[in-house]
Amino acid sequence: MKNVDFYDVRVVDATTTSIIIDNGNVEEISVNYTRGGGIRALCGGSWGFTSADGYFNEKKALNAASELAVSMNSRNPKEKVELTPVGKPTLKDLPRIKIDPRDISIEEKVELLKEMSKRAKLEGISSTSAVYSESEVKVCYNNIDGLDCEYELIRSGFAVSAVASENGIYQAGRESKFGVKGYEIFDENNALELATSAASEALQLIHAKPAKGGNMPVILDQELAGVFVHEAVGHASEADLVLEGSSILDNMIGKQIASPLITIVDDPTLHEYGYFPFDDEGAQSQRTTIIKDGVLNSYLHSRETSARLGGDPGHSRCQGYSMPIVRMSNTYLDNGNSTFEEMLEEICDGMYLIGSRGGQVNTGEGIFQFNAEKAYLIERGEITTLMRDVSLSGKTLEILNNVTHVGNDLKMNSGRCGKGGQLVPVSDGSPHICISKAVVGGT
Amino acid sequence: MYDTARKALSAALKAGADEAEVYLVKSEVTSIDIRKGLIEGSKENINQGMGIRAVVNGAVGFASTNIDTKMEEAARTAVSSARIRGRDPAWRSFPTDGKYPEIKDTFDPRIKDMELDECIELSTNMLEGASSLPDVLVTAGSFSRVASRRLILNSNGIEVEDRGTAISGFVDVITGQEEPTTAYEYDMSRKMDIDFFNLGKAASELASMSRQGISIEPHRTEIILHPFAVADLLTGIFSSAIDADNVQKGRSSLIGRKGEMIASEKLSIIDDGLLEGGLETAMADDEGVPSQTTPIIEKGVFKSYLYDNYTAGKEGISSTGNASRHSYSSPPSVGIRNFIIGYEKSNVIEDTDKGIYINTVIGAHTANYISGDFSVEARNAFTIEKGELARPIKSLMLAGNVFDILRNINGAGRDLRQVGGTVTPSLRIADMSVVG
Repeated sequence: MKNVDFYDVRVVDATTTSIIIDNGNVEEISVNYTRGGGIRALCGGSWGFTSADGYFNEKKALNAASELAVSMNSRNPKEKVELTPVGKPTLKDLPRIKIDPRDISIEEKVELLKEMSKRAKLEGISSTSAVYSESEVKVCYNNIDGLDCEYELIRSGFAVSAVASENGIYQAGRESKFGVKGYEIFDENNALELATSAASEALQLIHAKPAKGGNMPVILDQELAGVFVHEAVGHASEADLVLEGSSILDNMIGKQIASPLITIVDDPTLHEYGYFPFDDEGAQSQRTTIIKDGVLNSYLHSRETSARLGGDPGHSRCQGYSMPIVRMSNTYLDNGNSTFEEMLEEICDGMYLIGSRGGQVNTGEGIFQFNAEKAYLIERGEITTLMRDVSLSGKTLEILNNVTHVGNDLKMNSGRCGKGGQLVPVSDGSPHICISKAVVGGT
Repeated sequence: MYDTARKALSAALKAGADEAEVYLVKSEVTSIDIRKGLIEGSKENINQGMGIRAVVNGAVGFASTNIDTKMEEAARTAVSSARIRGRDPAWRSFPTDGKYPEIKDTFDPRIKDMELDECIELSTNMLEGASSLPDVLVTAGSFSRVASRRLILNSNGIEVEDRGTAISGFVDVITGQEEPTTAYEYDMSRKMDIDFFNLGKAASELASMSRQGISIEPHRTEIILHPFAVADLLTGIFSSAIDADNVQKGRSSLIGRKGEMIASEKLSIIDDGLLEGGLETAMADDEGVPSQTTPIIEKGVFKSYLYDNYTAGKEGISSTGNASRHSYSSPPSVGIRNFIIGYEKSNVIEDTDKGIYINTVIGAHTANYISGDFSVEARNAFTIEKGELARPIKSLMLAGNVFDILRNINGAGRDLRQVGGTVTPSLRIADMSVVG
């Protein structure tokens, strides 16, 4: 290639099947066959990138990417980008699926989802939906240094939701599980029971009271705490955001930024939904401790950011064959040794926030807002009234410092993270945690 | 393109489909990425793909691919998926009416033929605009140009091709060392009419104005929402409530409320697939139904839900031209076109004695889409005192209900703006709950 310092080529072949059952009827069965490639070229300090669909002309695409990089660099020269060297990754301990979803007929999948819908159709439930998706992906990677590697991965999962309605009030309950798993994911997670619990949740919420906001001590369940860990802490630890000045964790390595009870880890080698054997730059996946005993230990890196800031690459990911960016994988707050009872006792009066309806953060200012699925009032150390429409907001670092107890019941949840408009599979998790003071929002 | 589409269509019919439809898109995208005040790189994406719907016995199957050699396999898969589904008595047929309206300003050859040089120049303008104020850093930004073609063919004789272009710019800026404040600005257009320098400058002005924010006590007050906040807060939830599919499935709080007064009597909302230069403007919707203009709210009265061909068929009426696809790889579902919010214009800030002005919100997607309840973080918010933006507010939670907001709108600015598919002025809303 003419005058480029680096290039790499990713070719992805994928078949995705999804089934949507709506109110017990098949709403959609769709199969998608995709193939395409993404090519990066680096000249000096400028990246060029091309992507193309189908069986494209690799040489032509590489030339186009190189030309972009070269012309950007000549018009707009800037500091040379260095990349931390990586060796050939070894594929070890790959997830082994028990039941290949391709061996199960679509009819059988449809029947199972219909059964889930039935289990969710409790009295008072006005509508249900059950969704299944499976994908078989083959990723091939090669680069200018002769690195050439590939892997295949099967992912599958399901989501079930139920809406309860009464007197014009609607409330939804939802359960889902996605993983680097085969068809066994249904049985291993008691999918049929989860369907019923989604419905019960919706029914409960109908009679929940809208919450009153205020400053108070709170307990977060594993799911909401996991979302906090991913959204508020995980994103702020992504080195690309640190470098662009969009992270509250800039210049904090080695500093005590959280209660000593807090250890937060990102581990792509775990066989959770965010698993990958090597990242989208061919770097071996490995566990990274972001916060160790309250001290900021490491950011998450690509080859470029690790060369600039120090630290190991291995967190560069993309959706399909887009341009890779720094991403999380399986991110969790590690177990402590408190029990839930100890937390209740400690709090006395406050709120127990459960589940998440998503949220958002501003990593630059270190503020966040998440909506819980539901909450219970805690009065004199007892769990009492069920509340809905509860949110949690505040400053990331304050919350991290206000953690007084970390439970020993770590649980992971799977989902997709949409940073930079690119969806990638991730998981996050935490044990129950207790926070001495937080802003709870209501209506 | 036509050849490929016709081949796929006949493959589906040959595999046993009673009816078939092919949706084919091709697009060329050039984008420029900005990071920390510098142009970091550029991208060129050549995208193409095809979605095939096949009907067997009144059941629809779907498959898609971006691989030419997989096209016939995809067509057969669509047919076999359709066979697995039981007969759907609600299915009527794919669209048949192929008379298309004329549309304007959706294609600009200057965007289609734009070279990399010009893309870089416009991005640089945007950066210079942002840097024209002291102490502001562009943390991230992007520029992009798109030229696309979309072809829809079905076995009922529909054959419609739309061409379109779009150009867009986005900057995210930060200012201040101790207590940093951020702001963003964004614009997108079908033609070359964006002032990129001013776009960058607007983001920096907003971030600078937002410095040294004050804390406020929880209270109820009038608020004014900038078009960005209106689009984020209202469009998603309200469009979900008027989606005929949600209505038919019992997932809307507007079920059975046509003809009812649901909004301020000065408020009108239309869904318009024909708006001149609109981002969602095309001759046809995503299944080949001719685009149209549909009144949603007229002087406060709720007029119509939005339908695609299937949901309309269920009620024995015509589609409103609201079939929409996220990409070639998903079948169509109901979606809004240009969503135009209308209210009598005034100098709405000047006319407000006391209140709060909110530029953007974060967390709108966490709202309850059925009840309309939301609790979001307001960003770049300011107190309004005697008709002027007075002090920036450090941190602010805004809670309420979208359907209450529709009733409580009592003013609109002159700043009509296209934000994605939403076309809206800033709106003033009475009696909102804010927590500092």
